[in-house]
Amino acid sequence: MIIRAVPGPVGPCEDHRVNSGVERAVVVVSLVPALWAMVLVVRNRGIDGWLLAGAALVEVAVLVQLIVGIVLLVRTDRDVARLTFLGYLIGAVLIPPAGVAWGVGEKNRYGSAVLLVVFLIIPVMVLRLEQIWAGPVV
Amino acid sequence: MSEELADRTRRGPGRVLVIVYGIFALSAGARSVVQLTTKFHQAPLAYLLSAFAAVVYLVATVCLAMATQTSRRVAYVAISVELVGVLAVGTASLLVPQSFPEATVWSGYGSGYGFVPLVLPFVGLWWLWHTRSPATP
Repeated sequence: MIIRAVPGPVGPCEDHRVNSGVERAVVVVSLVPALWAMVLVVRNRGIDGWLLAGAALVEVAVLVQLIVGIVLLVRTDRDVARLTFLGYLIGAVLIPPAGVAWGVGEKNRYGSAVLLVVFLIIPVMVLRLEQIWAGPVV
Repeated sequence: MSEELADRTRRGPGRVLVIVYGIFALSAGARSVVQLTTKFHQAPLAYLLSAFAAVVYLVATVCLAMATQTSRRVAYVAISVELVGVLAVGTASLLVPQSFPEATVWSGYGSGYGFVPLVLPFVGLWWLWHTRSPATP
């Protein structure tokens, strides 16, 4: 007996989803360093090399997301809240560097906690991007 | 002395408070720019409030990060305004929803943002009070 663990696409129309591969990558790439940030917070350590590397990966991921998002915006002829969508794409690119700059000065758990907040806010922004792309719920 | 005050204010948990305020300043600011430039005529009151909220968050972020005696006073004012704002706009958005056709940061007491806008001013005021210097009343 085969149990299908992964359900198929649920959306009413494939076009109503943002490029889900990129989205999923951004979420995973930010949640993994979020776990490490949690470890550092618990152990009262500041931002270490691994966490910085994680932040760099997150930044690469949101930059890719920005480019893919702009391409999608240019291509689609659906009525999407374009400026808001673009705002979230750009915001996601600005937040990680700001978090690193503000967090590295603190050599204890609170420095890592700054990046934890950053890594947790990115998936929330991805979720908002998806909602904006799907359009207003009427 | 004042360096001590600055360290108390913006270090430790203060670091985290500033980044959370910063993220809200960014998101409220971006949102209000979009609202004011593209559809101001649809709901001028709500969108002006949105812009006002963005300015309040920005002032609070900068003043908490600077953490001088003066900037702390400004932060007290900004965060108090924020508290009044989220309570007033939250209540108004429930009583006269037609004035708020599209959500602002503060409508529904910040329900669109996981109620963080409601909790944040309490935390901010508590933190300022907690880190006050004994010499300053």
